[in-house]
Amino acid sequence: MDKQRDFVLRTIEERGIKFIRLWFTDVVGTLKSVAIAPAEVEGAFAEGLGFDGSAIEGFTRAYEADMLAHPDPTTFQILPWRGEIDPTARMFCDITTPDGQPAGSDPRNVLKRSLAKAADRGFTFYTHPEIEFYLLKSSKLKGGKPEPVDSAGFFDNVPGGTAHDFRRRSVRMLEDLGISVEFSHHEAGPGQNEIDLRYADALTTADNIMTFRTVIKEVAIEQGVYATFMPKPMSGHPGSGMHTHMSLFEGDTNAFYDASGHYQLSRIGKQFVAGLLRHAPEITAVTNQFVNSYKRLWGGDEAPSFVTWGHNNRSALVRVPLYKPNKGQSARVEYRAIDSAANPYLSYSLLLAAGLKGIEEGYELPPEAEDNVWELSDSERRALGYNQLPASLDHAVSIMEDSELVAETLGEQVFNYVLLNKRLEWKEYRAQVTPYELESNLEML
Amino acid sequence: MRRSLATLTELARLGFAELESASAGLEELDMPGLLPHFAVAADPDQALRAVLSLRESAPPEVQSVLDDTDAAGRLVQILGASTGLGDFFARRPEQLDVLHTVLTSPPGPDSYDSDLLQSVDGLTGEAAWVAMRVRYRRHLAQLAAWDLCQPDPLAAVDRVAAALADLAGAALDAAILVARNEVAFPADDVAATRFSIIGMGKAGARELNYLSDVDVIFVVESDGDLTDDRAVQIGTRIAMATMKGINDLATEPGLWEVDANLRPEGKDGALVRTLDSHVAYYERWAKSWEFQALLKARPLAGDRELGQRYVDALAPMVWSSASRENFVESVQRMRERVTANIPSGELDVQLKLGPGGLRDVEFTVQLLQLVHGQTDEDVRQVASLPALVALAEQGYIGRVEASEFALDYRFLRLLEHRLQLSRLRRTHLMPTDPDALRILARSTGIAPTADKLIEQWQRTKQAVRRLHERLFYRPLLSAVAALPDGGIALSTGQAEARLAAIGFKDPRGALKHIGALTVGVSRRAIIQRALLPVMLAWLAEGADPDRGLLAFRRLSEDLGETHWFLRMLRDSSGAAERLTQVLSASKFVGDIFERIPEATAWLENDEDLKPRPLAALLEEARAIVARHEGDADAAALALRTARRREVLRTALGAILGMTSIEEIGCALSDITTTVLTGALSLVHHYGDGIEFGIIAMGRYGGGELGFGSDADVMYVYRPAGASAEDAQRRAEQIVRALSKHTEDLRIPLDLDVGLRPEGKNGAIVRSLDSYRAYYARWSLTWEAQALLRARGVVGDPDVLEAFELLANEVRYPAQIAEQDVREVKRIKARVEAERLPQAADPARHLKLGRGSLSDVEWLVQLQQLQHGATVAGLRTTSTLDALLAAVHEKLIPADEARKLRDAWVLASRARSAMTLWTSKTADVLPTDRQQLDAIARLMEYPPGSASRLEEDYLRVTRLARQVFEKRFYGPPSRRPTEG
Repeated sequence: MDKQRDFVLRTIEERGIKFIRLWFTDVVGTLKSVAIAPAEVEGAFAEGLGFDGSAIEGFTRAYEADMLAHPDPTTFQILPWRGEIDPTARMFCDITTPDGQPAGSDPRNVLKRSLAKAADRGFTFYTHPEIEFYLLKSSKLKGGKPEPVDSAGFFDNVPGGTAHDFRRRSVRMLEDLGISVEFSHHEAGPGQNEIDLRYADALTTADNIMTFRTVIKEVAIEQGVYATFMPKPMSGHPGSGMHTHMSLFEGDTNAFYDASGHYQLSRIGKQFVAGLLRHAPEITAVTNQFVNSYKRLWGGDEAPSFVTWGHNNRSALVRVPLYKPNKGQSARVEYRAIDSAANPYLSYSLLLAAGLKGIEEGYELPPEAEDNVWELSDSERRALGYNQLPASLDHAVSIMEDSELVAETLGEQVFNYVLLNKRLEWKEYRAQVTPYELESNLEML
Repeated sequence: MRRSLATLTELARLGFAELESASAGLEELDMPGLLPHFAVAADPDQALRAVLSLRESAPPEVQSVLDDTDAAGRLVQILGASTGLGDFFARRPEQLDVLHTVLTSPPGPDSYDSDLLQSVDGLTGEAAWVAMRVRYRRHLAQLAAWDLCQPDPLAAVDRVAAALADLAGAALDAAILVARNEVAFPADDVAATRFSIIGMGKAGARELNYLSDVDVIFVVESDGDLTDDRAVQIGTRIAMATMKGINDLATEPGLWEVDANLRPEGKDGALVRTLDSHVAYYERWAKSWEFQALLKARPLAGDRELGQRYVDALAPMVWSSASRENFVESVQRMRERVTANIPSGELDVQLKLGPGGLRDVEFTVQLLQLVHGQTDEDVRQVASLPALVALAEQGYIGRVEASEFALDYRFLRLLEHRLQLSRLRRTHLMPTDPDALRILARSTGIAPTADKLIEQWQRTKQAVRRLHERLFYRPLLSAVAALPDGGIALSTGQAEARLAAIGFKDPRGALKHIGALTVGVSRRAIIQRALLPVMLAWLAEGADPDRGLLAFRRLSEDLGETHWFLRMLRDSSGAAERLTQVLSASKFVGDIFERIPEATAWLENDEDLKPRPLAALLEEARAIVARHEGDADAAALALRTARRREVLRTALGAILGMTSIEEIGCALSDITTTVLTGALSLVHHYGDGIEFGIIAMGRYGGGELGFGSDADVMYVYRPAGASAEDAQRRAEQIVRALSKHTEDLRIPLDLDVGLRPEGKNGAIVRSLDSYRAYYARWSLTWEAQALLRARGVVGDPDVLEAFELLANEVRYPAQIAEQDVREVKRIKARVEAERLPQAADPARHLKLGRGSLSDVEWLVQLQQLQHGATVAGLRTTSTLDALLAAVHEKLIPADEARKLRDAWVLASRARSAMTLWTSKTADVLPTDRQQLDAIARLMEYPPGSASRLEEDYLRVTRLARQVFEKRFYGPPSRRPTEG
């Protein structure tokens, strides 16, 4: 750590950094930023930077709370889009109370705590997200609808298209920020793109996702377009998910891998998946946290509305992908509900907690779903024992409210803030009269 | 026939344990002249066995030693005390010749150095390592022989320890020489790399053990054109090769671990740094405990000049570190972490880290050095014993203490030396096996038997445990008062530095209080001089040391002349510790103590801290009233005093964890009943024309009063001879007089009649008939609910009973209308929405908040309204009793009831703790960290638990709220939408 701090201070000098942005994330997953001058950095390392900590409570903050932001020197990066004029760097922060205890309301701390708990059991948690988003011509609507930059489809190579340049530029910038990109391609929807980040420990991944969103927005501005991570911007076109591949390591060994297991999945891996499945409904208010999220989740196609797992089944909630032979280290499972607008810190904490619960309690993995679950009738699904994810934010919040797993993992304060925020959102949504209602009711009634 | 050298009895007297085989062995040895040597060996049996087996494997070498009586004596001593050295000689019998020369005193560092350097002359690689290690152990054996033959082994401890450190330094020097010749860099570059090893810990302090890790730090510097990077690169290789030379696998086993983890950034840091880089690190990042470690830094091996510059550069930082914020706390926490890592089974046998162990001595001495070394260079010693001497000479600690503790330290170190010598293993654990203890006792020569040794060890541990107080706190007094043992004289500034270091926010004020308490020749001052050091230590552990000290000063000024106060504090350490605990924890208690200082006496006796039974309280009230007949004001004053006293008793019991929250509620309610009984008897007696009664309501009715709660009451009368109008007037007079006689400005007793019929608009007092008429005609559901807690407590029994019968009809209706149940729920919902103070966080409101007191109480009361008529257990005014009855009757499942109970108890305890801490009633769990921490301590959490209390409270009340919502409002009316 101390070496890292030295490095940061030195780099600030050498590179003539003018501003350092201290980043942290509120409970909703919005990136917050405070800029400080180079001269203040050393003090911020030593004592933290005082600020009104209620900023992390989301939209419902009521009281001021003195908190300290402690920059994490290992996250220091120079922001490439600021160019040579006023070079700017950023660091993520941990939030503490004035007496130095980790703040109960800091999402990054929630994830750190969850990872520490896993570490106590000998596990490290790795994740690798596939982030989807839409490129629009502008954030302004046209005819009441968003206007995508192109009308291409899955893996299409669009000659001279914006998307191609866009991805090239974004990947370059991400790499400049030390974030490795695995894969990028055009997705199924018009203007929809996907960029896959390389796997890393969950805290790094969560930090990377926050950075990623900023980078994508910045590049879009640069190129005169608009990028959105909204889960379902256009009905009739696929939503933007953030399928996340997860694996647990015990030291250097992938704990999910067993050469003799079904799909080479170890007992620990099966129990982890069983945990994900059993607790999926109660964590959905976090992994799919907006009213709009449920439009994606129930939008048909490949959205995982039902709590099932499968191997090559694109309708399953949890997918166990095939690994190349002798690639035991890459054994992993993919959770497909989470969307691109989720708070990655809280979502990953809960996914980890659900999986660990499965291991701890030795949950049995239910049978694999081999059919396209969407094509089954309600009764068939019931007969097969396929539970479903919540149908709406309201539904999800009411399930989460009773979840000890979620309360324990998020801690009482974040748990409470999430509930307050999401109830408020639902209430405001419910007050809307939508174009759909007007179109279908106004003339008829 | 067998020719015995000695009878078995004689052998036993000499110290042999296995007599038969000893006898046979001696016969085989056939050297009767050696017998006296065995008698002084630590383990004669082992010595004998070892001599025999050595002689068998290397006859000429051994025989040569045995033929030299003095050398033979040394051999027997060594073999009896150390199997480790026995193994060495078995491996290397040619080294036995070292025993022919006797050491008059340990050689100095230079002589060791040149000899070990010579041992590797012309050798490389493993051959060099082996030669160096053999030479090291040869010297070790010679030193052990010297040590074991000392007439006063305690006196020799420091000389042995210094020689061991010198020998370790010499081994490192030899290893460096070998390493330099081996690293794969151009010879010129290697030559231009200056390389120094700084000794830390015991090696640095020149007080090393026979076998412990040697703590080091590596420093390099380029001598000439070499770049720093290159020097670091070469230095790292040299360091690694040096460490291998000392301890890597070879035909002669390694010596000890070279531990470089005290370096900047510990295990993750660079192994080797330049001097500048070290300095930069300590200037910027080092933690307080790292400076404590640096205190021991000394050039140990390699380039001494560079090493000296390292020490010189860092010393100023070491000596200014004590002025850093939270210095003592951070150092102490580091120490606690070390202690916490000891397995619990080892705690009692740990020589080093256990309570009263070596670490305690070292820690205290170092802390004092750091605090006072800031300004006084004379105490800047690296080793513990010289530091003790210097601290005493400069007057920071008493001379007597210094010499006592030097002796204790030597004793513990001697035990450690002998234990480690035995098998040349790194250990700090006292053996538990009696045989091993016997051998240890013999080898130290300070106790004849195992039992005696253990006895002395226990005594030493006890003394050392008090060391911190005697060395750190006691001298504080010298700043303000002359101490009898002369010597010590801290300046005001020095004393303030110490006080600030342990957490006093206003050290100047504190010092003034200490002065007031200890100056003079009065008996009080003399006794307090003896008491205060330890009391200061306890106060410093409390939530508010400054306030605690001030409160103690006030108490002492009130009580110092009494015969028992100081006697009690002096003779009962339990009482003194409790006093400091309550004074630094609670303003409430401090305030009342000022009025009733004599209550201090209770602290000595647990029985006095328990609430007194109601009957005894009532008897006292009766006696007071009788005693002051005709003088109502005097009687009221006496009653008020009695009340304060009993409230104080309850508060003390609560803080000291002797009284549960339920007992507190009951006790405070009883106290209120007692005062009201006394006051009523001043203004009303049976046969004066009316019957009069006081009905306890609310938390008072439930026996659940907290500190600072209002007492909810209603008044009832029934004419008994007087006309209706007279009776009403009389009753009103009584009520007015009651208020007057129970008034107390310091601990207010507010009689709240807000729950009476018609609330604020209703008559203050009514006749029984009027109540009956009212309830028959107008009664509202909330009034029935309020009556659930009505309990006749004071007054004429007949009217009280009649009132309770009337109340029963209202509060336990045979049938409650659905509409009334809905009304209760609606009122509750409205209270939730409206009664919470503006901007209060509902999750933190202890009374009206989410899942807190009122949720639990309303849920229970609804059950009582619905089922009270049929379930006898529900007909109680106590919330927890009714909850229990509801579980018994299966109205509420046990697990849900447990959640409700937990929340009710936790919220009640938090309220009680808040009043005790600030002496003010408040209903919102504070967000301020210091307040939270103090409240948590009062709720028996360890210090520093602000976040834990917060998290616990939020969790417990959330779970209670879940139960409440389900059971009170009923399950949500809608089914969530399906997909």
